[in-house]
Amino acid sequence: MSALIDPQHKLVDIDLAHHRFRVNRDAYRSAEIFEREKQLIFSKCWLYVGHASELPSKGDFVARTVGGGDLIFMRGRSGEIGAFFNSCTHRGTRICREKRGSAKSFACPYHGWVFNSDGKLVSMNATRGFDADINADGALNLRKVPRLEEYRGFYFANYNSAAISLVDYLAGAKEYLDSMCDQSEAGLVVLPGEHSYSINANFKYLCENSYDGYHLLPVHVSYLEFLDDRLKAGGGEGAVNFITNLYNKQGRGRGLGYGHGALESWVPTGRPVASWIPPWGLEIKKEIEAKRAWLEQRFGKERADFISDVQKNLVIFPNLVINDNVGMIVRTIEPVSAAGMRVNSWALGPSDESAALRAIRLDNFVSFLGPSGFGSADDIEMLELCQRGIEHSPVEWNELSKGMNGAEDSRVEVCGPDDEGHMRAYWAQWDRMMRGVETLEAH
Amino acid sequence: MSDVQPTRHQVEEFLYQEAELIDDWRLPEWSELYTEDARYDVTSLDCPDPINSRAADSLFLLADDKERLTSRARRLMKKTAHAEFPHSKVRHIISNVRLDSNANGEIKVRANFVVYRTKEDNTSQYMGQTHYVLVPQEAGGFKIKHKRCILDLNSLADQGRLTIIL
Repeated sequence: MSALIDPQHKLVDIDLAHHRFRVNRDAYRSAEIFEREKQLIFSKCWLYVGHASELPSKGDFVARTVGGGDLIFMRGRSGEIGAFFNSCTHRGTRICREKRGSAKSFACPYHGWVFNSDGKLVSMNATRGFDADINADGALNLRKVPRLEEYRGFYFANYNSAAISLVDYLAGAKEYLDSMCDQSEAGLVVLPGEHSYSINANFKYLCENSYDGYHLLPVHVSYLEFLDDRLKAGGGEGAVNFITNLYNKQGRGRGLGYGHGALESWVPTGRPVASWIPPWGLEIKKEIEAKRAWLEQRFGKERADFISDVQKNLVIFPNLVINDNVGMIVRTIEPVSAAGMRVNSWALGPSDESAALRAIRLDNFVSFLGPSGFGSADDIEMLELCQRGIEHSPVEWNELSKGMNGAEDSRVEVCGPDDEGHMRAYWAQWDRMMRGVETLEAH
Repeated sequence: MSDVQPTRHQVEEFLYQEAELIDDWRLPEWSELYTEDARYDVTSLDCPDPINSRAADSLFLLADDKERLTSRARRLMKKTAHAEFPHSKVRHIISNVRLDSNANGEIKVRANFVVYRTKEDNTSQYMGQTHYVLVPQEAGGFKIKHKRCILDLNSLADQGRLTIIL
């Protein structure tokens, strides 16, 4: 009956000999495949929950949807960070109804059960009627997610208690997280404010788009023209010529293992870490140059250049985007149906930067990114146009062959910056998980 | 300039003119309503204090200075601004206009708004309050020194994006 249990129904078709890599469009539009993704991918992979800096004090919490789970991410009375299902263990009531805040405890609005910030049931609001040892095994405490682990302040949950560790899972993606975290000794913080919006397209379309170097000129020419005007006003070279002539001559796309991938590229947007552009003014130039000198002294020139100059777009399988380009963005992509997603994104910055540089960082961010930015808004339109197209077209396959170079394992392929190898890395992992070949469990 | 005492009627006329330029997609003319040091911004939908928050230290949906609002207007007139091609239909409804203060040649004004955007067959609504700082001009009329839109939304789950001018 279903395409899914028919092993002949290939969803990812890899033809190494002829340099063809195709993804069946059902992967973006089938409700059945969407259900299967929930079981085989979102119940097995590490999913981003939040950043330690969002919970500076004991009792701080944020409510967040993670892979379909409605979670409370909070720093308990012990100081430890936990993630709990937002549901009373009595009758299931959703107990945390604010998006964020600080609380010593949560009282269920229905019968008054009270849980402390470590999730422990501390009151059942009853003087009689329950055995004294009813919660001896702790089963009536708020239910924790099976696994919660962190890497350099980034917290991830896993709904499979048998999963491999987060550090192992992140594989080559750690290098890119390090190159962000190493920008400041004081550490990164999530800045106040968020972008929360929806897109009427399959979530994987946004994953692909988030590190696609091929679409830059056609989709973003109007942003590049805006950059052009700014750079030329400052006496610099224009952005459009730069992209047309130089973009694909440097940088690369990379598969990083377990479906993660990165795009390294050069785009003259300015980078608040340590790559100055004239429109920012001379005052800020000194601070940026000082940061660059500090990076060189600490890591050597080569790594300092990599940290400072290279735009990095990172996709951590299956639904996290962390970009270090015009600014630093953390973007989670929550699938809501085969043809719809919710996007939440935040800006990151070093906690110790000056007010002036912080202002430039945020300004650079909103100039391109987000649902009102000169860049992201046009990306969103593209993804919705794709979804509309595949919902009716008889064409069966999406083509992801660009720059295929015969690498045996697409998951660690290296390609040009405007090629699609890093997307092939994603899809190769996706295919293995959907076929049950890979479960990400420790053996 | 400080002795100019505009009436609410005059301010309303001006706000309606601005709305008309936006609704008619006469955006380059719209951008000329702003002073050289102007700002046009829309606060984050989760902002706890949207009236006083600053785009310099927290993430906004949109935070334009004069240069960028002019660029925004110019960009939105291009076919390559894909998110608004073809242009969606836009309609502003403005009400509850209040003149809060008039000092140092600047008038603070609040107004409620609903903006409807129709793209193909889908209509979405953006509702909220605008806080203006207006500068009366010698020749009559006003220029906008600051326009801050505070949306009564918790996310753009229904609207998807904000690519029109509020």
